[in-house]
This record gives sequence, structure tokens and C-alpha cells, in this order.
Amino acid sequence: MNTKHEINRRDFLEVSFITGMGLVIGICLGGCEEAPTKATVPTKTSAPTMSLSDTPEPTLSPALFEPNVFLMIDHRGFVTIKVPRSEMGQGVRTALPMIVAEELEADWSTIRVEQAHADRKYGDQQTGGSLSVMDTYMPLRRAGAVAREMLIAAAANVWGVDVAECYVRNGSVIHRQSERRLAYGELVEEAVNMPVPRSSEVSLKDPKDFSIIGTNIGRVDNPEIVSGSAVFGSDVRVPGMLYSVVARCPVFGGSITRFDAKNAEAIKGVRHVIEIDSGVAIVAETTWAAIQGREALEITWEEGRNADLSSAAIEQELADRASQQVTTGEAGTSQLIESIYAMAYMAHVPMEPMNCVADVRKDQCEIWVPTQNPQEVLSRVTRFTQLPSDSIKVNVTLIGGGFGRRLEILKGGRTPPVDYVIEAVQISSIINAPVQVFWTRDDDLRYDLFHPMSYHHLSASLDQPERVRVHAYEATAAIPTGYWRAVENVPEAFAYECFLDEMAWARGEDPYQFRRELLPDRSKAVLDVAAKEASWGTPLPEGWGRGIAFHSTWGVTHVAQVADLSVTSEGGLRVHRVVCAIDCGTVIHPDMVKAQMEGGVVFGLSAALKGEITVENGCVQQSNFHDYPILQMDEMPLIDVYIVPSDASPTGVGEMGVPPIAPAVANAIFAAIGKRVRRLPIRMEDLYND
Amino acid sequence: MMGQKSGSFLRRMEMASIALHVNGEKHTLDIDPDVPLLWALRDLLGATGTKYSCGIGVCGSCTVLLDGRPIRSCITPVSAVQGQEVITIEGLSKNGDHPLQKAWIEEEVAQCGYCQPGQILTAVALLNMNPNPTDAEIDAWMSGNLCRCGTYQRIRQAIKRASAEGVRT
Repeated sequence: MNTKHEINRRDFLEVSFITGMGLVIGICLGGCEEAPTKATVPTKTSAPTMSLSDTPEPTLSPALFEPNVFLMIDHRGFVTIKVPRSEMGQGVRTALPMIVAEELEADWSTIRVEQAHADRKYGDQQTGGSLSVMDTYMPLRRAGAVAREMLIAAAANVWGVDVAECYVRNGSVIHRQSERRLAYGELVEEAVNMPVPRSSEVSLKDPKDFSIIGTNIGRVDNPEIVSGSAVFGSDVRVPGMLYSVVARCPVFGGSITRFDAKNAEAIKGVRHVIEIDSGVAIVAETTWAAIQGREALEITWEEGRNADLSSAAIEQELADRASQQVTTGEAGTSQLIESIYAMAYMAHVPMEPMNCVADVRKDQCEIWVPTQNPQEVLSRVTRFTQLPSDSIKVNVTLIGGGFGRRLEILKGGRTPPVDYVIEAVQISSIINAPVQVFWTRDDDLRYDLFHPMSYHHLSASLDQPERVRVHAYEATAAIPTGYWRAVENVPEAFAYECFLDEMAWARGEDPYQFRRELLPDRSKAVLDVAAKEASWGTPLPEGWGRGIAFHSTWGVTHVAQVADLSVTSEGGLRVHRVVCAIDCGTVIHPDMVKAQMEGGVVFGLSAALKGEITVENGCVQQSNFHDYPILQMDEMPLIDVYIVPSDASPTGVGEMGVPPIAPAVANAIFAAIGKRVRRLPIRMEDLYND
Repeated sequence: MMGQKSGSFLRRMEMASIALHVNGEKHTLDIDPDVPLLWALRDLLGATGTKYSCGIGVCGSCTVLLDGRPIRSCITPVSAVQGQEVITIEGLSKNGDHPLQKAWIEEEVAQCGYCQPGQILTAVALLNMNPNPTDAEIDAWMSGNLCRCGTYQRIRQAIKRASAEGVRT
């Protein structure tokens, strides 16, 4: 189950040293004019390359110190840090530069953040599995340390002293005896001539001396976000760009029988109506004209072999298989307890739907896309265009919500997913102009890579609660499935943590104390913090319940949550408070850890209490937030997050807040009204029916 | 196969000259009067801070202020806003320093940030009308603005912070 982690985890830092000034001519820092196809947003002051809001614009520097692919320093002392992972709200464009800046001993106000485009030289760029900090922590520390040691060597050279007599502080090298000081910018020309130390041999700071890691530095993208100038994929505007939406068969795997472009072409602003691999593209001068053109298009579909596909039938099959496990299970064991837990298909619904800008020329191609997987985009575009990969540039924009959708990896299902990047590339190559392919919300729901429906059968002997047998069944129908925040951890934690609760009640034990005895020490400490802060064991009003759950997502980050809720026939179900405790090792940015826990709880509550995806006659039945609802403000519980201190290596936080909340809620429902719910999403009728 | 564009079909929509007042500037567009304000802002005026997310007026990402009231620009035709002052996130303040924008930064509200322009403008309208809202009033007013990242708790905090500091617009 952990293959993604295995392929992702590699120490990728290769120090490649660029010597001399000739090689850096033409490298431009943020704010400069670049190539003619550069994306611009009219009326905006900032280009997609972002900068800290109040640092002055550096001018084109005659010399740059670029000891490795992750950072460069110009003669004015500005440190540009390339972020190889994608920003989708988890704070990676702040956290990764903090790691570099820490070892570099940089003055944070000189840091400028630049998004890396797709390039193998940055190592693996997949942003998934909550791995960004975990993967890059040591490589980025070493990248900063290499630069720091070279700057010290350069200063020692200038002064004619031993490097041991020099130290760094806040962007300067200082000679201990004479108190002479040279700022990093003043050392650039000397530093480029220094030998590059091996990254594995540089000295790293003692964590007790950290001054940046562990602090709540303001998120670098916030000023642009609140002023509306942040550039998401859908905000990219390229000169001459047209807008496109695509009409696709609503049945998975269907195809076009025929279409008549006449009425679509009659819409003012529609410029092209063309057939592409995924359907019929309407290309127009505005997104709205393209949408109108699609509505006017006359088209008939060959629905193909999935025309009868139904999620209810898929669910029945999974339920039957799981229940057969029950009847053939642990017969003859008097203390046997067994249960089946289920989770429906779920959608990602990021607030920004899928989109991509492509500008395909005869011998080159440029892409702007909010993606979690730029190198995978590059290889798909390379395959499709047959252009050499070094003539294709994939720019990564800010992402208006990822949650695994934009990893763009098909996890299961027998129908190829619709590829919006290739849609843009194909359209651009046909019309010979840059184009933005934009998915409307119903496109986004219909052609998602869904979280698969799953069933889990669990059984154990009550006298051996540490030995739970789990059989998992996941749908493998035609419906395309992909990675969804925390992936299999969500149904696994739901099944296992509810089952533990069932065992505790069956044994007449307190669910917290019972669970506690089953956990190793590090996890136990997390559970204890959550229970203590939630005042576990104190009484609640009538109709209220308190539930606890714990999960170690991918075995690396340990999270416990306690939910307090009330269930009344008139008021329905309301989650009032969630206490969350987390141990994720060394913390780079405590407030971001808390934010991710808050967000994970909300995402998990939507899965626990809100919409599900159903399929009938081969078509997704949901089309927008009215029939695939997500949690809203007036349903938001108070969430208190407690970080359990740890010196261990940092792990991940982006997904880890999600898995414990559904079982904590289900266990609290049982505590409140004695009703055990075993399917997500929980429906109100489940609470009152047998 | 490629549908050929033909000039002989009658245009289905009537064009009209529409005067838009956006962030203190006047724009005259020759445009189908039914075009939603959202797409006029994003694709014709380059004001991409206003976001599409649902297209049917249920999520609030496209919220702009019309004479100080929050409206859903994705379902508001340009013809309906003629002659009225439209404020988008770009026009809320000169330097991104409206008290609510500052509170949003102080509370580190944003995660992905996509829905936040709509959240901020909805909150501006709330505090203009009710400078000291209770939690319940905040929840009721803001519940039409969805956030998939789950930043609701911090939105609540940021509104209370701006409220406590006294918003002057």
C-alpha cells in the first residue's frame, strides 16, 4: 500500500556548481521582463513569480552565486530560493525556504521565493503523500549549509584568515577577532570561485540553535492572496490566448457519434468548434462564450459499454463479498466480534476547478498549470507532442486546492481519465494559438478521479483485541479513481477505530483507556494529550456524546482526535468541538501544522457528514455544491490543536488531520444515542433506522 | 474533423453598450448584456481576483460588492449592474491594507487562498452593516461562502479581530 512513499523518498540533492559570470547572464530575477510568451495578468503588479511584499525589487545582477539548484544570491544580498514542490495551501512555499534560510543563516527579509518549473534537476517534484517537508528537510538544509560554508570560505579568503575564525549571523560573515563583517551580497563574486563542499560533509546546525525553523513566519503568499493578485492557474493570461470548454460524453468511456457545430458557432465570440480526443472543444474569446457555445452544441454520443454502470450495483457487490467473509469467518469462537464498514465514492471538489494553459508552437511548447505533479505533466506533453522534452516548459502556478486531484495519477478504474492538460495541448496545436482549457464545476465533479468506494470486514476475539483481522474490498469498476487526501487511511481508520470502540463497549471498558493499552508509547502520549485537553470522562448534557480516535497515517504522523457532538431529532447532528493532538516530529512552522489539522478535520467532516458520489446509467449524478455539499461556516466546530513536542525528523501534516475525525464522530454518535453507524457519509436516517 | 466557422449565421445574441464602474474606473463594453459580471471582470477587464467556483451562485467565491452589498457575480448579468459601483478585491484598498485584509494576514486565514477574495468581500459587507457581529451572526452571514481548505475558524477570528479594531471603510 505504500508504494508511493517508496518511490518518492529519495535524497535528491545534487550539487551542481555554475562557475563564472558568463553562465549566469540572462538569468533574471523576479520582476524583470522575460521571454515574449511570459504569462502576465493585466492590471496586476506581480508576475507569477512571487516576492516578499516589502522587499525592494532587485535589479539584474552582474553576478550571482548559485551553489546549487535551490538557491542563488545576488550582489545586493537577495537570496532567491527555488521551491520544487507545489503550493496548494499547505504552506510549502514558506516552509521549504525556511529550511534553506535556517542553515544559510540568511536574513529572512532578503528571501525571495520562486516556483521551480518541471525539471528533473530538482529531484522528485510530486507534491503528495504529505512528503514535501519529509523528503526535502535534509537536502534543503544541506543546500543552505553548502552555500553558508562557501560564503565563509570566500570571506576568509578576502580577509586572509582561517575559516575557523569566521562565523555567520543574519546574512553576514563575521571575523571573530577583528569583528570585521561582510554581507553575503558583497561576497558573491568571491564565493563563486570557492570549491563546492560535498553536501554530505557540510556541518549542519544544532537544532537547539534554530532561529527560523519552529517559528510562525508569515506565509509568503498571503499579501497577494488577500489583495487578489495571487496567480492561480485559472488566472494565467497569455497574449493572444483564447478560452475553451470541452463537451465530453457524460458516460464513462463513451465517444462521439456526430455533432453539428452550427449553433455553437453562432454564439458571439466563439472562434472554433473542433473535435479532440476527449470530445468537442469550443474555443472562444471569453470563457462565457465558450460555455454558451457548449450549451448550443448539438451532439450525440455513443455511450459504450458503461451505459448501465451503477454505483448501487457496485456497492451491492462489495457488500455481498464482505458479508461472505462474515459467514465464513471465525466460526466457533465464542468471543468473536465482527463488523463491516463502508465508505462511498467521494470527490475532491477543490474550489478552483481543473484548468490548463497551453501554447504549442512548431518546435516548442509552454504550459501553465496548477499541478501537484509537474514532471508527470511534462512527460505526458512530451509523449503527445513528440517534441524534445527540453523544448517544453511546464510552469507551476498556485493551486486553488489539490487534495490529491492534481497528482493526476489514475489509481484504479477501467476507464482512462480525461486529461485537461492534453486537452489544452491538443487544442492549442490545432488552432495555433495559446488556449486556456477551463473545467466548469459540473465538469470537475463528473470527470474527477474519485476516492474509491470501499468495504472493510473486521473480526477479532474479544479476549485478543490486539489481533484484529481486516479484509478490505475496493471498487474496481469503470469509474476512474485516484488519490484523495489521506487516501486509504480514511476508510481504514474509520473501520479500525470504530471497531476498537465496539470492542471497548463489548468488554465494558472505557474507549480511551482500552485504546491506550494497545498503543506504543509515542502514540500513547498523543492520545493522552487529546484525552486530557478534551476533558475525557467529564459529563456532557443529554443527547451529547464524546468520541475518540487515533491514527498514524502511513505510520509516520500520529494524530488523536476527540469530538463532542449532540444528536437531536429536531436539531440534527452537530459537532461542537474537536480536540486534536499531533506528533509530526520536528515542526517547521507550528501555525501551519495547526492550520493543516483544522483543514483536515473540516475535510474529514465533509466526508463523514456530507455528500457522496453516485453513478447511474454510467453518469455521475452530482453536478455542483448543491448536490455534493461540503461543510459550511455554521457547521464548523471549534477546533483546538495541540502539538506534542518531538526532536524526531519532521514528517508530514497535509493529510494527517483527516483520518481520525470520521471514527471520532461515529464513536461520539454511539456514546450519545447508542446507534452504531458503519457507512460514510453518515446520513441522518442512519441514526434512527435499525 | 473540424467545424468550419461561418459568417452567414445570424448572431443569436444582441450586443449592447454596457457601462461598468469597477474600482473607480469606468469601462464601456460592447457586450451581450446577459454575460455574467464575473466573466466580464476576469476575461475582458483582467480583474482575475474574482474567482469562479460553482457558476450557480451557491459558493460565494465570485462575490463582489455592488454599492456596498455583496453579490454573486457568476449569476449577475452585466446589464444589472450598469451605473452602479462595483468593488472587487483589487479595489478594496490601495495597498491591500483594508482592516479585514490585515486581519486575514494576522490570523493566517488563507490556505490555498482561492476562495478568500470572496470571503473578505462578504465580511466587508457584514462589518459595514453590523460592526460588532456575534459569532452566530458571523456564522449566519458567512455560511454561503464555501472553503474546501476548511479555514472557517480563522475567518471567524479575523472578522472578530477587525471588528474589535474598528473597521473604517
